[in-house]
Amino acid sequence: MDNQETLLRVEHLCQYFGPVKAVDDVSFDIKKGEVFGLVGESGCGKTTTGRSIIKIYDITSGSIYFKGRRIGAGLKSYKDEIKSLKRANKNASQEEIARNNARIAEVKKEIAQAKHDQKYCDKDYAKAHEAELDAKYEKLLKEAEGDPEKTAELKAEYDREKRVARNKKLITQIQMIFQDPIASLNPRMTVREIIAEGLVINGIKDKEYIDQKVYEILEMVGLVREHAGRYPHEFSGGQRQRIGIARSVIMNPDLLIADEPISALDVSIQAQVINLLNELREKLGLTILFIAHDLSVVKYFSDRIGVMYFGKMVELASSDELFAHPLHPYTRSLLSAIPLPDPHSEKNRTRIVYNALAEHDYSVNKPSLREVAPGHFVYCNDEEEAKYKQELAQ
Amino acid sequence: MDKILEVKNLKVSFRTTSGTVKAVRDISFDLERGRTLAIVGESGSGKSVTSKAILGILAGNSIIEGGEILYDGKDLLKINEDEMYKIRGDKISMIFQDPLSSLNPIVKIGKQITEAMLLKNKASRKDARKEFNNLLGILEKNMAAATGDAAKAKSLCSTFDKFCIQANKLENSYNIDDSNAEALEDNVEDFLFRASKKQKLAVKDTLRSYQKQLRSLKDPFYTAKFQSRLDAVADRLGKVSGDYTAPKGKNAKIAALPESIISTLEEMKALLKDMRSQVRPDFFRIGLYSLDHPGEKLYEQDIRKLNEDTLHYLQEHFMNEFLTFEDKAVAYSAEESRKKKEAVLAALKEARTYFAGEFDKNTAMKLCKELSDKVEDSIDRLEIVKDSYAYTFRSSLSNGITRYFFYKAHNPKEEARFARQSKKRDALIAKGRNVDWKVVPKVVFDLEDLQADILSVIDQLTARYESATTHTGELNFRDRSVEIVHFLKEKASKVVYRVTRAMAKEKAIKLMDEVGIAEPRMRFNQYPFEFSGGMRQRIVIAIALSADPEILICDEPTTALDVTIQAQILELINRLKAERSLSVIFITHDLGVVANMADDIAVMYAGKIVEFGTADDIFYDPRHPYTWALLSSMPDLDTKEKLDAIPGTPPNMIYPPVGDAFADRNKYAMKIDFEMQPPMFQISDTHKAATWLLHPDAPKVQLPKIITDRIARMKKAGEQNG
Repeated sequence: MDNQETLLRVEHLCQYFGPVKAVDDVSFDIKKGEVFGLVGESGCGKTTTGRSIIKIYDITSGSIYFKGRRIGAGLKSYKDEIKSLKRANKNASQEEIARNNARIAEVKKEIAQAKHDQKYCDKDYAKAHEAELDAKYEKLLKEAEGDPEKTAELKAEYDREKRVARNKKLITQIQMIFQDPIASLNPRMTVREIIAEGLVINGIKDKEYIDQKVYEILEMVGLVREHAGRYPHEFSGGQRQRIGIARSVIMNPDLLIADEPISALDVSIQAQVINLLNELREKLGLTILFIAHDLSVVKYFSDRIGVMYFGKMVELASSDELFAHPLHPYTRSLLSAIPLPDPHSEKNRTRIVYNALAEHDYSVNKPSLREVAPGHFVYCNDEEEAKYKQELAQ
Repeated sequence: MDKILEVKNLKVSFRTTSGTVKAVRDISFDLERGRTLAIVGESGSGKSVTSKAILGILAGNSIIEGGEILYDGKDLLKINEDEMYKIRGDKISMIFQDPLSSLNPIVKIGKQITEAMLLKNKASRKDARKEFNNLLGILEKNMAAATGDAAKAKSLCSTFDKFCIQANKLENSYNIDDSNAEALEDNVEDFLFRASKKQKLAVKDTLRSYQKQLRSLKDPFYTAKFQSRLDAVADRLGKVSGDYTAPKGKNAKIAALPESIISTLEEMKALLKDMRSQVRPDFFRIGLYSLDHPGEKLYEQDIRKLNEDTLHYLQEHFMNEFLTFEDKAVAYSAEESRKKKEAVLAALKEARTYFAGEFDKNTAMKLCKELSDKVEDSIDRLEIVKDSYAYTFRSSLSNGITRYFFYKAHNPKEEARFARQSKKRDALIAKGRNVDWKVVPKVVFDLEDLQADILSVIDQLTARYESATTHTGELNFRDRSVEIVHFLKEKASKVVYRVTRAMAKEKAIKLMDEVGIAEPRMRFNQYPFEFSGGMRQRIVIAIALSADPEILICDEPTTALDVTIQAQILELINRLKAERSLSVIFITHDLGVVANMADDIAVMYAGKIVEFGTADDIFYDPRHPYTWALLSSMPDLDTKEKLDAIPGTPPNMIYPPVGDAFADRNKYAMKIDFEMQPPMFQISDTHKAATWLLHPDAPKVQLPKIITDRIARMKKAGEQNG
């Protein structure tokens, strides 16, 4: 898994709402083809993280890279740096001031770049794509020179693809499935309109092509063609969630953000949806960011899991490793609280209580996310790091 | 095990514009005291409807087609709203799934929690007094009749009354101080912890309030041994809080508390701990002695010795005599009741033959009245556990008869209306008109069924009385007298137990703390909108628990909560269950939660119970295909293979399937499953399931691999843990 390509990289992501630090300095990578689970209690910032990635919010600080391009950038860290440099200038030597000022100028350039990336990432991507197309068709047209029929055909195709390319957005390759299938489907639109909306927005006008695609996707998610003409209220909860999935999958995304996709569903339907996501993942080679609070499901579904607590990522490891060797006390408390369908073990279960105040003393030695074993990260300070390493060695 | 709630043949349906939805189709189960019954199933399986029927809060378009819910000698389906009002929330409480709709948005949280406690306390004191007097009166009457010594019986009972109340007054005052001391100890602990973590504290105010609270401990039995230490600590608290000046400036946040304060608080903690662990006086013993010797300072004596001495005094001067009288009264009453029961049995037999044939309304009602009078006269009122059948006989029987005659008159009318409307509609359609209305579906009942209901009421009581009249020889009257004394004692303690506003507040704060709300003292004065969803749910749970119910119905209380909080709440409910011998009906679809909570499990599908058993039965030896499907559709931590999802959706309950409702989605379905409903097959004493697979002629079916694997894994884990 190490040599796989990184699809999404989140660096020092911060999302503040006024004084509330919903997400505070979170970093992680998602490799191509894997399922990354994000767990934590409600209000810990896992949904906010998902929404920040898909640019529903403007992030406060940090960067988000998708397929190597920066799609989101916050400015707070840069501004803070400038502020602290300016403060340092007050009582510094001439030489230092000069160095600081040079740095300030550099940071300002970075700010400009960040602003550009935040705003124009899609346009840049579309431009690059158009250039690619131009090159491709230029060559093809040259080859077909003298054959008017083929030239006309090629030109028509060129036009169509160019229109699509002009509207092509990087961000549409990230799609989201929402928690509540009832609230996230427009009751006034038919299933066909709901599913095809993304294609239409992207400039596809060929009705036949759209219908074909919609039917294909409907069958892929376990519905039938006839469902296309109906309205969302005519479906059961599980079917509605399938429509939600179809809507996101039709855009042929590379990354799917599934925000508690099964929490609102009935037991028997939950399994259907999990199986469906698993199938789609194999068929389409999807990468999934899976946000949930049901740990049994996350364990079953994810390759790697990140545990969040009050806006911070406290532990990150492969799912087997995390469940076999949980290190951070919060993770342990979380794992000890999972209800299991086994009456004997359930009745003897002892829950570990986590009290952040009593557990850590961070007054002197500040913590950060550190790698204590290959691929296993824990939020801790020096002292704790040593302790965890020793525990793992045993 | 005594059954606290019995549901028998409950049938509920809902009238809708498109037809009658049969939500619950003939289910029966018992809830035993101190146990948890989990009802598992998909949405629409009728589990919530069942719980709502128990609470009497079904929607307006519901029809209860039959059945009984027996609780405390009453049939909850037949009592009127006033009576139900006394039970609902007080004896049977419910935690709803949606906390938003259960809280008043403009009343502070604290008030919403304490309100019920204060109101309920007032009402329960009145009720307890009534019940106490009632039972004591019956006892006195029976004593007089059994021994012929009316004067002695009267004096014994009045002494009992007086000293019981005296004892409980003393105990109550002791308990108030004890609970205050406990709260104070917790607070000091909390304060010291926060101080050690260098948090910001209002030192001066807190110390002063501690001093005040210490001085408010006044019960002589509680404080007599510690008076000097108590005074000393209170004085020191006053002094150190006077000396203390809050640090100012940059370092204010991290300045440690002065040593003098910490040592004083440690001392206070030790004192409270000692007080709380002192030997408890047994006030029931002391009651009579203190009544006979007013003015004596009993609390200065050694408590252990006092307990012994007063026990002897009580036995010699009162209890022995009282119990001999009581034994005779109990034996007398049981014998009288047995004789009357035999007479009733004969009358019941006659009535049965009458109701089995043709009968007319007037004679039937007259017979019902006579019979009910006889039955009520034959009840042994000195039995603490009420016989539900005898107590509900009058209402059940008269209700059955009324229903019978109502539908006898109503059925033809309904048929005629239905035929008329259908004809009109068909005619319009035949003319080619566009008809935009539907024919209201007809509601008719089979008269034979209704007659059978009447007969079953009589049969049940007959069976009951037959066993009662043949088994009287085995009764132990001494046990029963002791039981009565305990019952009276408990009622008396409720009579004097007065909840003050301050106590209610302390209790509410403790409850809020128990359900996991941080800083309850601050949160006490906030409004519901200041709480997050999970927090609101906890408040709702706190309110439901504050009334100290006998039965708690939880309708998916933790579905919206995180695992950690869910675990906390489940632990809380489990603990309360053990402490208060609470009976719980737990409705959920999360099998992990069920494994944690349930003693017994009822698996429901399409309005029927398809499998019933103890938690071990259902998880280690499931028999119904639907239970298999539920178990195999959710992953646990070791699941790697593909999940066995249940295909399709539940059936439309307007047209319930003829055979097994699950047949359509069941890969093990046989031909008979589509044709006939399977009966309940008894597998063991505790375990039964309704599936044709258990029929001796059925083919042997292998359990799904995912389940056999899991059971093997669980067994292995169980062995490892011992």
